[in-house]
Amino acid sequence: MVRVIETARKKLTYSNVLAVVLFAVLVACSMYFVYHNYSFYDRPIAKVTETNQIDHKEVTAEHGNKDEVFTQEILAEIMNGDKKGQQLRLTNEYSSSATYSQAYREGNDLFVSIDPASQDDNAELTGTILDVKRDKYILLVAWLFVFILLLVGKKQGLYSVISLAVNAVLISYALDMYIQYANFGLLLMCACSVVLFTLTSLLLVNGFNEKTYAAIAATLLGTLTSLLITYFVMWITAEKGLRYEEMGFLTRPPQVVFMAGILIGSLGAVMDVAITMSSSIFGLYEKNKNIAVKALRTSGMEIGKDIMGTMTNILFFAYISGSIPTMILYLKNEYPVSYTFSMNLSLELARALAGGIGIVLTIPIGLYTAIFFVNRKRAKS
Amino acid sequence: MNTLVWLAVILFLLMIGIGGKKGARSFFAIMLNFGVLIVILFMMLGRDNDPIILTVIASTLISCITLFFINQVNITTKTAFVSTVITIVLLLFLIVFLTDRSMIQGFSDEEMGELYVFTMHIGVDYVKIAASVIIMSTIGAITDVAISISSPMREIFYHNPSMSRKELFVSGISIGRDILGTNTNTVFFAFMGGYLALLIWYKDLAYSLGEIINSKVFAEEMIGILCAGMGVAIVIPITSWITALALVRTRKKSGAAN
Repeated sequence: MVRVIETARKKLTYSNVLAVVLFAVLVACSMYFVYHNYSFYDRPIAKVTETNQIDHKEVTAEHGNKDEVFTQEILAEIMNGDKKGQQLRLTNEYSSSATYSQAYREGNDLFVSIDPASQDDNAELTGTILDVKRDKYILLVAWLFVFILLLVGKKQGLYSVISLAVNAVLISYALDMYIQYANFGLLLMCACSVVLFTLTSLLLVNGFNEKTYAAIAATLLGTLTSLLITYFVMWITAEKGLRYEEMGFLTRPPQVVFMAGILIGSLGAVMDVAITMSSSIFGLYEKNKNIAVKALRTSGMEIGKDIMGTMTNILFFAYISGSIPTMILYLKNEYPVSYTFSMNLSLELARALAGGIGIVLTIPIGLYTAIFFVNRKRAKS
Repeated sequence: MNTLVWLAVILFLLMIGIGGKKGARSFFAIMLNFGVLIVILFMMLGRDNDPIILTVIASTLISCITLFFINQVNITTKTAFVSTVITIVLLLFLIVFLTDRSMIQGFSDEEMGELYVFTMHIGVDYVKIAASVIIMSTIGAITDVAISISSPMREIFYHNPSMSRKELFVSGISIGRDILGTNTNTVFFAFMGGYLALLIWYKDLAYSLGEIINSKVFAEEMIGILCAGMGVAIVIPITSWITALALVRTRKKSGAAN
């Protein structure tokens, strides 16, 4: 055992150490940058230097909700623009529920607008708080994520990070294309990107081999059929029960955005099922090249049954949880329960159910495409 | 008939048709989980109930249902359950810290436009609610990884009963590494699908990069995705370690009995 550890330590070569050092330097530099990048922003940024609570009252708002409202007076230093270095006085009202605004502490960076009136004379500058500067936290979490993935996954972790980054760039590019050439249609655009996503993610993580090809075919077939089923159901029921009103951030027709969301949202889970099915079928075949198709089918179905429940659960919670804050707001404002649920859950549930249909359908699809590829391989050899 | 009912019926039929009894159990597990979520939602309305504690309770119940109801109580589901709960509690500390610091709780300027009719002073701590949302949206993925590691580990142990704890741990980690990529992908696409409208909104209204990165909703989404990804990664060594420990212990017990 000791010898194993010793050889492992010796394997810690220059290139490994170099990689670690490089990573640390990259993290340190980017963190330094994001803490000092004020001059890159056009909007004025102020750093909180002093806060004083000037008012505190308990309120009983409508519907009998008790809350506490605080008022803070904040002194801040302007960090960019031509007023750089000057003092700025801000006031901030927030409640202890922090639904909209929150308490600020010394050291917080805030986006502000400076009152034009206060700029004329030599009086103290005053302004309004617009938003919080969050870039440093995003970067911090991103690095933490990369670090944990590399620590746990080593090479596979690196591939996962790369594949996520590639997919993020792809999705952004696809949306740019869609906005530029709107007549393409969002669904068509998303269909094209789904093909690209599937190819890049599966090939990057699993390499060029029959196993991956089978998974790619199964993923595409699975998403297509589930999309068709969902589309058919929406058409036949005339979308009754789907409340698009609560869908936030709409600049486009909601139906299309919703369908495209289903397509992209279930893709990851469908890919997961497809690769699980094809690698287990190929695994069985590699172990015993003469295995009967029927045996493959039975074991494949068993594996499928095992993953069906947990996979649908993933999508379910990823979608439903997001509507908790709005539902609490509705219920606290004494909206009827049925109205709250139908307004906030209908789209999320539809998305989760449609994704679930995709997952379950991909089990037999994945099984038979894998068997097809196994048979083809057999015929060749 | 209602679109949702139709979709639910189709999903139910497919699950029974393909999964048989286990499929039916999986479907009812989802319904039960939905029930837990709704009950917890109502409990969060109470002013004296701490959303974080409620979240831990909900996560425990949900992983119980997902693991034990679908797959029965056995050594692999037990270790998967313990690992899920430990991971969630660990992650919770990080997420509460992050939501507090990055101030991503509550509603953004963009959302306030539609929500102006509501009273915002509702006496529920939204920092904790935001942390709770992130945890709840990851729980499915974490449970999935835990069971996908512990169950093949048992198979490996049955075929090689003389394996040491360390070897078992290493085999668990290597299973985990193989599924890490697809699992982070699942989470990534699930979140992306949900936020597609938001992404189009940013593009349509020509937000600058600086505005996007610092905006509340985007930060919330990014921190959500990344924390989910971290959860999926952290659960790998935890499950491998606990399962290895439990499996070796069963051998010691049966050895003593002989």
